[in-house]
Amino acid sequence: MLNALIIVWRESLEALLIIAILLSWSNRQTDPAPLRRGLGLGAVCGLLLAGLLALFIATAHDEFSMLALEKIQAGMVLFAAALIVHMVLWMHRQGRTMRAQLESQASKAPGALGIAAIVALAVAREGAETVIFLQGTWASTSAASLPGLAAAIAAGFGLALLTLWTVARGTRRINLRVLFAISEIALLFIAHALLAAGIDRLIANDWLPALIDPVWDSAAWLDDSQGMGRILADFAGYRARPAATLLIFSCFFWAFTLWQLYGRTAWHNGIARRAHATNIG
Amino acid sequence: MSQRTIFWLALLLLPPVQALAQGLPTYTITAQGGRLSPDRLEVAPGKIKLIVHNAGQVPIEFEHLGLRVEKVLAPGATSFVVTPPLRPGQYEFIDEFHPETGRLLLVVK
Repeated sequence: MLNALIIVWRESLEALLIIAILLSWSNRQTDPAPLRRGLGLGAVCGLLLAGLLALFIATAHDEFSMLALEKIQAGMVLFAAALIVHMVLWMHRQGRTMRAQLESQASKAPGALGIAAIVALAVAREGAETVIFLQGTWASTSAASLPGLAAAIAAGFGLALLTLWTVARGTRRINLRVLFAISEIALLFIAHALLAAGIDRLIANDWLPALIDPVWDSAAWLDDSQGMGRILADFAGYRARPAATLLIFSCFFWAFTLWQLYGRTAWHNGIARRAHATNIG
Repeated sequence: MSQRTIFWLALLLLPPVQALAQGLPTYTITAQGGRLSPDRLEVAPGKIKLIVHNAGQVPIEFEHLGLRVEKVLAPGATSFVVTPPLRPGQYEFIDEFHPETGRLLLVVK
């Protein structure tokens, strides 16, 4: 019973976190309605996808189906990571042009679609596991205990909503620019966690070599199986025993995203300053 | 053929890991009634292959995040996982759907 509550809470939290970040960003745009519609549509599609995925998992008994499932799941996770990075870069550009006079309707469509896709994938991913777990638990619970189980599930979801509402309340007073920066970094950490999960699946199935494995072992300081280490693993992509391949992808990820977000403008500003100084002198 | 097409074709035709997992020490784990049996294994250092069979009535999720092991198994399903090279120490695998009772302690010495 408690187990059901915890699992629903944890799985809901991961999807709801993404939804909360995208929703709070959308609400601060000049025309939030299409973005929110995209979010809602994504959530609904995500639930349908979660059901389909859960069905596939439940009926996969032979090795071929299981292999197909591994490919689908690895693909989904890596695609979701790429989508989020793409979205963060797009959101960052929107932020700078927010004070521009005209916001063409055309620029809204990729935003709403991107948000819908990210939410759909997040809900599908977390939802599929939750559906499988709940179906199994429901089927093995005696009729007398079912109301208790339903209450535990509702409580788990409610707790996740409450956790996010508490965080949202806490960030209400934060100024817009700081909030946007925090949202961008939070989404990047989530994308990195997805990248780590995807690379792990590719290595586990021997589709990528691990190279040096592990490069280090920090399990004694921060174990990724439980507690804070597990939270960092799920939400930021921390690994106590990372393979070299994972670290390589990780470095490229941060180098690419941080350069795109902050490096390029600094570079251009630097050039502009030098040109200006040369013109004056 | 564009680079992108080649990439997707390669991904679809990737070899199943069966071919590459021959010759590894293999152990069978059975999940039933929320438990894993055996619930304790002593193995030598190095890679090992774990065949996991779900003999119960409910799905299980056999997992060890740090060792890149994650398998959801419907009732009656069987699959396998290959660990990375294991160093001496203790590793605890968990059935995420039955975390209090579904544990496997792997002792590597």
